Amino acid sequence: MDKKEIEKIVKEALSLGRNMLIEPEAVEVLRLNHIPVPDLRVVKDVASAIEASMKIGFPVVLKAVSEDLPHKSEAGGVAVGIKDGKELESRWAQMILDIAFRNPAATIEGFIVEKMAPKGIEVIVGCVRDEQFGPVVMFGAGGIAAELVKDVSFRLAPVDRAEAFDMMGETKCFPLLTGYRGDTVKDLNAVADVIVRLSEILEESEGLREIEINPLLVYDKGVLAVDARAALK
Amino acid sequence: MGIISGLDKFFNPGSIALVGASDKPGKLSGKILESLRSSGFKGKIYPVNPAYRSVGGQECYPAIGDIKEDVDLAVVAVPAAAAVEALRQTGGKTHAAVIISGGFSEMGNDGARLEKELKDIVRLQGIRVIGPNCMGIYDSFSRLDTFFISDDRVGRPGPGSLSIISQSGSFALTAMDELAAEDVGIARVISYGNRADVNESDCLEFLADDDHTGAVAIYMESVEDGRRFVDAASRCSSKKPVIAVKVGKLGAGISAARSHTGAIAGRYEIYRAAFKKAGIIELEGYEDFIGGCKAFGMQRSAAGNRIMIITDGGGIGVGLADACASMGLDAAPLGKHLKEDMLGSFPGYVVVGNPFDLTGSVTNEMFADVLEKTMEGDYYDMAIVAPMWGPPQLTDELVDIIAKKSGVIKKPILICTPGGDYTRKRMGLFHKAGLPAFQTPESTVRAAAALSKGVRKGTRPFKAGIHG
Repeated sequence: MDKKEIEKIVKEALSLGRNMLIEPEAVEVLRLNHIPVPDLRVVKDVASAIEASMKIGFPVVLKAVSEDLPHKSEAGGVAVGIKDGKELESRWAQMILDIAFRNPAATIEGFIVEKMAPKGIEVIVGCVRDEQFGPVVMFGAGGIAAELVKDVSFRLAPVDRAEAFDMMGETKCFPLLTGYRGDTVKDLNAVADVIVRLSEILEESEGLREIEINPLLVYDKGVLAVDARAALK
Repeated sequence: MGIISGLDKFFNPGSIALVGASDKPGKLSGKILESLRSSGFKGKIYPVNPAYRSVGGQECYPAIGDIKEDVDLAVVAVPAAAAVEALRQTGGKTHAAVIISGGFSEMGNDGARLEKELKDIVRLQGIRVIGPNCMGIYDSFSRLDTFFISDDRVGRPGPGSLSIISQSGSFALTAMDELAAEDVGIARVISYGNRADVNESDCLEFLADDDHTGAVAIYMESVEDGRRFVDAASRCSSKKPVIAVKVGKLGAGISAARSHTGAIAGRYEIYRAAFKKAGIIELEGYEDFIGGCKAFGMQRSAAGNRIMIITDGGGIGVGLADACASMGLDAAPLGKHLKEDMLGSFPGYVVVGNPFDLTGSVTNEMFADVLEKTMEGDYYDMAIVAPMWGPPQLTDELVDIIAKKSGVIKKPILICTPGGDYTRKRMGLFHKAGLPAFQTPESTVRAAAALSKGVRKGTRPFKAGIHG
């Protein structure tokens, strides 16, 4: 883990008076911890968005970057499965209208363009700092209903791989990862790696208060953290 | 402070100064003097009270500092302000004090100020303190008993290997009373109240190294230093089983959470995460706490989760099997070899299997036979014996027969015996024989499940140091 680089990101955000990392920063923190993240570019205008998309390769996802939009899907700040430059232009325009309508006060700092990730099993991995016990790590069923379903397991951080596997085994969604109804077995080792690594971040970085990947997409081989958020103290 | 074995003086004192001692009946300190004497405490007791020259025919001292010899332990039972004064005037004669008195931080700002003063005084003099606002200590070995409730109201357990740590005094008292009534032995009970000095982690440090303690039960409302607690509990649970019940489960864990993780993480979830890390066996609520105390107080941890059910009542057997399945216990069918052996040894009306149903034609010896044959060898880790007392050939001798087998088998045996007056008297006989007996299939199985979690596999030491 590149502790210095992470500290730099955190300090910079704090110096700007922010209590959250914006998504590109949170993703960068994950990348510095060797957690697989999508190939992404931060852009300011539609022309550079198209240029970046061509480099990455369509289909792409377009996301608004704003600390005023903690729930960016609901705010209209996410467009997935964009197939070409023409569609990117129209979805971009629609996104700006949607955000302006739903959150007129939001400041948009830019946009993320990233490679559209293939479908995988969605899980959530998060780590939060408790006043009494210090960092606590969570694994569970991911996606937009994570808070509703609450199919999760907690451990005091940091955890080792054996504990990470215990955590996975404690959730009801675990069979989805082990070949449910004829599906393939997913890459449990890669999930365990993410749990272990995320459980170490808060120990290492005092400025971080919460960090979360939701969803972490789990494949037959490998995982991908397609959305990340991080709160500062 | 966290000095290992720093609490020795509390548990084996040769002498006690009782601050607030008087001959007036009904006084709190009078009850403690009575408790100390009736429990058979062998050490010397020095009454301390500036109002009297003598108490109970003994010389009474104005202050601890006026006692000529050093005193191992001071027990303080006077109002808060007077307690602080008493600790100020120890003259270096004692280095351990149990402060029973209330009126400290639990009573708002004025009390909190007094507690702060108390902390400063004892730190300066190097006195370790249990309390204030607590019941103190019950120790079945040194016969130390600072609980100010007479034993005709609340029973005291005999010597045993289970120790209890409780923030709440009334909970400690009630648990002691229940366990005494069911003949569960106790090593130490510590009610630590406001934990001005000694807290749950200090207690765990002490009990981890205490040879008298074979298992530890914790009743917890809150924790003072979470990371240190996990560290101390991990060390303790690597040596002996630690069971705990946490009350006060409501409430948000992370204030102003900005992630789903933070929103889901309630106080209780975080405690559970800590218990798991520390290898603590978590129990749900009062009934399971008492059940767990019985199981660990009377039996040993099971080596695994394979369980044999032996009964003469088919229905109860099935109920037990269901409860086992829902609690993660494996009531596995008899292996081929074992089953053939059993079919050859028992009459045809017996239902050979797991549950093993001896039916209404049961005899004492049949229970013993099945127990012996299924428990020897590596088929099962523990057994539930569930006698229904209707069949005429079952007699009270069954209790001793099973108790004797228990000594030979060296695997945990739990008794499940639901029923009315006749049966409940038999329950008492099982307790006297050292076998934990329960009234319902569910409570039996929950206690069995706790026993199956008593052995930690692949213990991973937790290092609080990482946290800084």
